[in-house]
Amino acid sequence: MRKAAWISAAVCLAVLCAAPFATAGKLDDVKSRGVLVAGVKDSQPPFGYVDEKTNQIVGFEIDLMEALAKRLGVKLELKPVTSSTRIPMLAQGAVDIVAATMTHKKEREDQIDFSITYFMTGQKLLVKKGGGVASAADLAGKKVASVKGSTSEQNVKKAQPGCTVISFETYPEAFLALKQGKVQAMTTDESILVGIRNSDDNPEAWEIVGDYISPEPYGLGLPENDSDFRDAVNLALMDMWETGEYQKIYEKWFGPGKKDHLPLTWKMELWP
Amino acid sequence: MAYNFDFGQVISGEYGQWLVSGLVTTLHISAVSIVLSLALGTAVAVLRLSKVRPLVWASAAYTEFFRNTPLLVQIFFWYFGSYNVLPTAVNDWLARRDFEFACGVIALTVYTSAFIAEEIRSGVFSIPKTQLEASRACGLSFLQAMAYVILPQAFRVVIPPLISQFLNLIKNSSLVMTIGVMDLTYMARQIEAHTFHGFEAFTVSTAMYLCISLMVSLGVNLYNRRVLHARAR
Amino acid sequence: MHWNVVYNNFGYLLMGAYPKGPLGGLAMTAILALAGIFGAFWLGLGIGLARIARDRRLRWPAMAYIEVIRGTPLLMVVFWFYFLAPVLLGKTLPEAESAVIALIVFTSAYIAEIVRAGVEALPTGQMEAARSTGLSHAQAMVHVILPQALFNMIPSFVNQFVSLTKDTSLAFIIGVNELTKAATQINNRTLTAPTEIFIAIALLYFVICFCLTELSRRLEKHINRYQARGRS
Repeated sequence: MRKAAWISAAVCLAVLCAAPFATAGKLDDVKSRGVLVAGVKDSQPPFGYVDEKTNQIVGFEIDLMEALAKRLGVKLELKPVTSSTRIPMLAQGAVDIVAATMTHKKEREDQIDFSITYFMTGQKLLVKKGGGVASAADLAGKKVASVKGSTSEQNVKKAQPGCTVISFETYPEAFLALKQGKVQAMTTDESILVGIRNSDDNPEAWEIVGDYISPEPYGLGLPENDSDFRDAVNLALMDMWETGEYQKIYEKWFGPGKKDHLPLTWKMELWP
Repeated sequence: MAYNFDFGQVISGEYGQWLVSGLVTTLHISAVSIVLSLALGTAVAVLRLSKVRPLVWASAAYTEFFRNTPLLVQIFFWYFGSYNVLPTAVNDWLARRDFEFACGVIALTVYTSAFIAEEIRSGVFSIPKTQLEASRACGLSFLQAMAYVILPQAFRVVIPPLISQFLNLIKNSSLVMTIGVMDLTYMARQIEAHTFHGFEAFTVSTAMYLCISLMVSLGVNLYNRRVLHARAR
Repeated sequence: MHWNVVYNNFGYLLMGAYPKGPLGGLAMTAILALAGIFGAFWLGLGIGLARIARDRRLRWPAMAYIEVIRGTPLLMVVFWFYFLAPVLLGKTLPEAESAVIALIVFTSAYIAEIVRAGVEALPTGQMEAARSTGLSHAQAMVHVILPQALFNMIPSFVNQFVSLTKDTSLAFIIGVNELTKAATQINNRTLTAPTEIFIAIALLYFVICFCLTELSRRLEKHINRYQARGRS
């Protein structure tokens, strides 16, 4: 049977080599279509989630994409992705751009390109208050929840090889496992942990602990080797920052007094 | 889009070990669930065949409900939903164990036992009714007659359909990856996430599932030829 | 208990964001199931007939197709079509379409087996009689054998449709917004009522599948009675 698999793979390879490399620029593509298809999260307040009243996907990253689409002069179409589907979907062209809490990592550069950083955070731990976990060092022999295809699962394993990482499809599922005591901590970017904690009925019962296990700069995922499109997106991001539109969107979701308050402590990379 | 095929990376070294450990988990969870679902399914079938009304109804409701809802939903229910209905002590006890694995076993067992109960029931129907009457006349109780006379005969008839249920169970076990059990499918997805060589990982893991299935169906065919046909002669 | 979570979101479970947004929930599940069974019936019929063809060049590929698909978990088939088919086709398939194709390919192998069993269950005299009246093999198949065999197979088809309806829940894993996905979205937002939400959607699936199962049982009885009358 193994042999048959090899043969079929070889056939597939032949088909693949014959496939034409048709790559019209993404920017022209989007403009002629009149629609920007953005891959976003649908289960991750406040970045992207389904609003209870309107049943529409809303959030920080959706507003950011809305602003980008406006600058490109096209309509926005949203497509929900998860941490494990976002890169394949972008690589295959199912979405034009990915705004889904994705950390800009070197190894991801093989598959896709990234914009400049549009959000800066770091990986921490969310634990039950008084649960005896204060840092990654305390995780030896314990179970930690994370999400498939994310950087967090690899980072925490590096920080504490003695822990067991259990990976879920989405962060709320990981948090539910934590709430029900099936894991002793969950780990991911602080910005996500804040949103997760605040979505609970009783946020005081949970705390975010430890030093940054790793820095997590978010970049928009872009198709590999398409510098026209990448330039357009980067320039649009910088323009949003300089005109104060970015800060306005940021305040709307993370400003003081908001449920998911997170002070803006970093600056976007601006090209002169 | 260019894609570099690299089977070497997936079948050897660290990632190869992941796949093997995934295969072991798949076989482990399947084996445990097969044993438990056979026992539970038999019990449910016996209840259904008893003449006691409430037991018959309970058993019928059980088989109908679990056969007619998706396994994936049942897995989610046991994993996320059972917490609110179980006593705290049971939850704490479960949390200290390998909860994902236990939950996968429960879901697979309950789901498959409903199908097994139906197979066994139809197997028992294929045994002439006089057998039960005769054994009751000999002074055996209902349970004794079932255990010593009816079920042993019924099992011989239902072994092929039972094995195909077990095979379904092995294939269905791929769904437990959704709650974090690190089975073969889970590992294939992990390799995809780490290496972006999903194609190779999925090819190899599909081949592994196929090998299991083909071996089992070969076994069933042999059994059919040797045992059933021999008896027919 | 938080049954109000189910109550408040019941519309979303049934229809998704429709009509203000894309269709989802139970309506999407029904579309997946109907599209799946329609495609699977025709593909399965073709493969089932190839499987019992006298020509080896038809029979062997059909046999290989049936064995390979039936030996593979549906989840694997779904992943193959979702992640890997685009690598080969060079273009992407939207999630719902690729889920439907995976369901069709998977179910067709089982339908093919039903077709084979149904045709083989007919007395060989039927074929011989049809041939002796001057019909070709193909004509005899289309006008004499298949109409009888397909009629007898109706209950099995309905049962396969029940399996397919349950299997549509796997489309959730690749992000199709059907009933299970709608439930997890609501669960992920509220986090307070997983028990209630999953019981609610289990009941929704149950109502559909149970009605179909009952229908299949009634049909089976009806068909058995019909055949018994024909024989006497």
